[in-house]
Amino acid sequence: MAEMVKLFVNGQEVEVESGKNLIDAFEVIGIEIPHFCYHPALGSDGNCRMCLVGIEDGRPPLVPACKTPVSEGLKVQLDTEKIKKIQHDVMELELINHPIDCPVCDQAGECKLQDYYMSYDHQASRMRVPQVVKEKKMDLGCGVIHDQERCVLCARCVRFTRLITKTGELGIINRSDDARVALFPGRSLDNRYALNIVDLCPVGAMTSKDFRFKQRAWFLKRDKGICHGCSMGCNIFIDHNREKYKDDLIYRFRPRLNPEVNGYFICDEGRLGYHRENEGRLISARIGTEESSADQALQTARRRMEGADKLLILLSPNCSLEQMLAIQALAATTGATVSGFSDGSIKNGDADGYLIQDDKSANRAGLALLGVNTSPEFFESALQRTDTLVSFNNDLFITGPNQAWAKKLGEIQIIAISTHDTLFSRQAGIAIPTASYTEYAGSVINKDGILQTFGQAVCKNSAPLDMIRIAGLLGGTLTDPEALMQAMKRKIPAFAAIETDQIPEKGLKLSHNEAAHVTA
Amino acid sequence: MEVKILSAKFDIKDAHTLKVAKEHGAYSGLDTLFAVAPVVIIDLVKNSGLRGRGGAGFPAGLKWSFLPKGLDKPVYLAVNSDESEPATFKDRYILTRDPHMLIEGIIICCYAIGCHTAYIYIRGEYTTQVKVLQKAIDEAYAAGYLGEDVAGKGFQLDVTVHRGAGAYICGEETALLESIEGRKGQPRSKPPFPAVSGLYGCPTIINNVQTIASLPFILQNGADAYKAYGTEKSPGTHLFGISGHVAKPGLYELPLGLPLLEVIDRVAGGVWRGRQLKAVIPGGSSTPVLTPEEAKTATLDYESMAAHKTMFGSGGIVVLDETVDVVKLVENLIDFYHHESCGQCTPCREGLGWMLKIVKQLLRGEGRMADIELLRELCDNIEMKTVCVLSAACTMPVRSYLDKFRHEFVAYAIDRPQETGLNLG
Amino acid sequence: MSDRSQLIFAGKPFLYDQERDAEFERLVKRYPTRESMILPALWLTQEQEGWIPAEAIAYIADRIGTFASQVYEAATFYTMYYLHPMGRNHICICRTLSCYLRGKQEIVDFLRDEIGIKPGEVSNDGKFSLEEVECLGHCGTAPVVQVNGEFHEDMDVEKLKSLLTGLK
Repeated sequence: MAEMVKLFVNGQEVEVESGKNLIDAFEVIGIEIPHFCYHPALGSDGNCRMCLVGIEDGRPPLVPACKTPVSEGLKVQLDTEKIKKIQHDVMELELINHPIDCPVCDQAGECKLQDYYMSYDHQASRMRVPQVVKEKKMDLGCGVIHDQERCVLCARCVRFTRLITKTGELGIINRSDDARVALFPGRSLDNRYALNIVDLCPVGAMTSKDFRFKQRAWFLKRDKGICHGCSMGCNIFIDHNREKYKDDLIYRFRPRLNPEVNGYFICDEGRLGYHRENEGRLISARIGTEESSADQALQTARRRMEGADKLLILLSPNCSLEQMLAIQALAATTGATVSGFSDGSIKNGDADGYLIQDDKSANRAGLALLGVNTSPEFFESALQRTDTLVSFNNDLFITGPNQAWAKKLGEIQIIAISTHDTLFSRQAGIAIPTASYTEYAGSVINKDGILQTFGQAVCKNSAPLDMIRIAGLLGGTLTDPEALMQAMKRKIPAFAAIETDQIPEKGLKLSHNEAAHVTA
Repeated sequence: MEVKILSAKFDIKDAHTLKVAKEHGAYSGLDTLFAVAPVVIIDLVKNSGLRGRGGAGFPAGLKWSFLPKGLDKPVYLAVNSDESEPATFKDRYILTRDPHMLIEGIIICCYAIGCHTAYIYIRGEYTTQVKVLQKAIDEAYAAGYLGEDVAGKGFQLDVTVHRGAGAYICGEETALLESIEGRKGQPRSKPPFPAVSGLYGCPTIINNVQTIASLPFILQNGADAYKAYGTEKSPGTHLFGISGHVAKPGLYELPLGLPLLEVIDRVAGGVWRGRQLKAVIPGGSSTPVLTPEEAKTATLDYESMAAHKTMFGSGGIVVLDETVDVVKLVENLIDFYHHESCGQCTPCREGLGWMLKIVKQLLRGEGRMADIELLRELCDNIEMKTVCVLSAACTMPVRSYLDKFRHEFVAYAIDRPQETGLNLG
Repeated sequence: MSDRSQLIFAGKPFLYDQERDAEFERLVKRYPTRESMILPALWLTQEQEGWIPAEAIAYIADRIGTFASQVYEAATFYTMYYLHPMGRNHICICRTLSCYLRGKQEIVDFLRDEIGIKPGEVSNDGKFSLEEVECLGHCGTAPVVQVNGEFHEDMDVEKLKSLLTGLK
């Protein structure tokens, strides 16, 4: 627990964490200090002047909250007429050269200018002279579109490229009201995190080419998720919506703060990974080349598994821990060998020392924890002995079909339970669609041994079955949520030690012993 | 009324060269300097009552004493030679006519504050002046007054000239530091104050050229000799620049405390062309204007100016004669500050442009009474809400013109009450 | 100020000549950080080329080891850096307070009629460029103009006429 200090806000004594500035400390206790330029990941700049607060008996009596640390006995004034007038005046000045084009602006609904206008300004425009004209619709690269006229010059984007990505593409050039965010002529944004700028921008000056004009922000449902794009396990918001007569579709991923995992940001690849949740999905089951109902495909699959001589079950490193446990139980019932071979999803040399990892799967650590063998030797020898392969969303052809063992695959029965219609699922004798990670709840362990849980966000019209359910329908015995929970607790003492059955919001760092499993 | 303390060598031919400067006493104080402890020098400067001559008038010795003791970091001196406040041209005379007085002052200051690296930040516009200054520094290095072993006293000191490139704001001390560090001249929030964390994050003293150049006299003649000039609270002399509508504009060294109008009449030859006085800007364009009535009782010192709700500033006095159109003057004034706003803080960046457009609208004959009220209100809304005082440097004088010459603004409003002024048709 | 975002590419790689290269190396030793060289390096460029091409900004950034955007910020913030070629004779007229009071407009009007260009323009033959600038610090001898860096004080139309005839 951080040390606490007592101070006064509008005469009321409050207790806040020490070591924070006024904005952050007060946010925790539900008191808003409006601000544009300050961002906890980027530090305080002090340029917007929206966070000016009064300090009773202070020298000076007026300070930017972003640059003022909490201190014992400080008397902060937020509700005086003077402070209200300053907020009102700063808002007026922010808006005089703003185009006020909310009806065509994607930021509408999540715009600080709109929010603060309603809370702190709320007056008719007094601007009777021409506005400053700047550039619009500037394609900065990496899918970021900039509108200089909407910009409040808070410099968050500039500071992001200098402090976080250290690529420094952006600057604020000129001075006075001609100041503007710009790229060096002829260059563009060139980093793998550029779209975070869109989230950082408190107004509609930075928008995403990918998201522009697709959805109004207020129609989106925001659910919490874990990105499955790599082994970092970045925390995300899954923003999705079911339009009338249409399916539940995801429109964007946004980063969700987790100081223990990803901080405030996610990579662009992960962010755009939502497209894969919407597109290329395996829609209906197939037996051979014929479409079938999922029921019929499952019954056929079960018969073939029962008739198999040597059964090989292949797990995906993207499966949740619960799914892995259910499938392991199925393997035990059916006497199958289980492999987690998935070298194809490791892209050596892709990691950047920040968020992006070589391993493009979310739960390889889970495979290790549950003792699933992932070695190619084990897989190949099992493959040579098997006559029936059941793949739980493991795409053996993820890097292409020309693998050394590909010939053998042509000689055996393949049952592919798959989220996507892939080259591999098309080679399978039976293909059965299954829910993807935005459509079920589960737990995964990231590369640092942090156990994280996520809920179901998307609910498809024709919801494909979850792999746990499929494991049950194929003869597995461990499908009950409560039983799965107990099984997880047996495997993870640190989880068992928690009184409630809830994995904490920031994840659960597994102990050294458990982590040793994980890195095995 | 004129005195010759700082300007003693201004009229001597070639006094900018080391040879001539030395013949007239340059660097002769160094023996005295190095014979005493640095703290003695700080006390001397404190006792002299020398106040910062850049505009704010902060006591120089006190500023030096803010340096933290026993830090494992270098101390820097930044000499502010940005001199960008309109109507100010005093430091230029020191730079070109007696640069060795400045260099000697730098040696004195650096010894006192324990600094071994000084930067002189000179405005980019001073193209010919920077050459004279650099030549003087080169000569001082060659003669052993700068470098590894200053005057053979075992004190190391390097002085580097850093050129600005056209930005008024760099006269603001933290913007100046940003500019030396290679960035845009955007002022820093205080705290931390430069004395604690300034240039390169190290303790830094920033003093105006004239402040530093006053040190050789104080060292050689003592605090009392300096205090013999001026008033009790505003001791010493100042290089007053008198410009605008006077018969004899120019730079005059005067003790502080003289009556403003008397100086205008007796030193600067009075209002030119036999015209009437309309107003006086007492200390550079950012100081609130004085009407002739107010000017009658004003004297040229910090206290009297404060009592007249204006400022001593840089001592750049501008005389306005009866022909001046105050609204046009205000347009010129806002245009300057708008052009020079660093663009960092919202109120200044957006507000000054708005104020300028309102005045232009008024001058075009498209403004209304409400615009005058808005202009007045904007002065209040913008002022002191920003990191530095550039916005106030604009709003304070503009407010003074609006309050003291309101009828001139009203005369431009299309919906002005009938009885006020001419019909502009 | 007006927008200075437009840079011009000279179409050839930028390098300092020998003398300025040496000057860069001499100056860099005067500062504890290389970033401090941004302003001096831009000055050296302008001395050499008469203006600052886009290539030079990128070059300076690389040589100093900083972002091009940071040098670009400085080049556009400080108005004395010329981001396009100027006339062989660059004339700055002070437009601020004391020069304004003492007739700078007559100077501007005369030059406009005489040379045929407005402040901010370069004459077609490349002989002249005009710029109205903020206070030049010569208020006691206003109005003042600066021609190719040299100050000319107490200006009036007659003095200006003889000054112009002496220019190539």
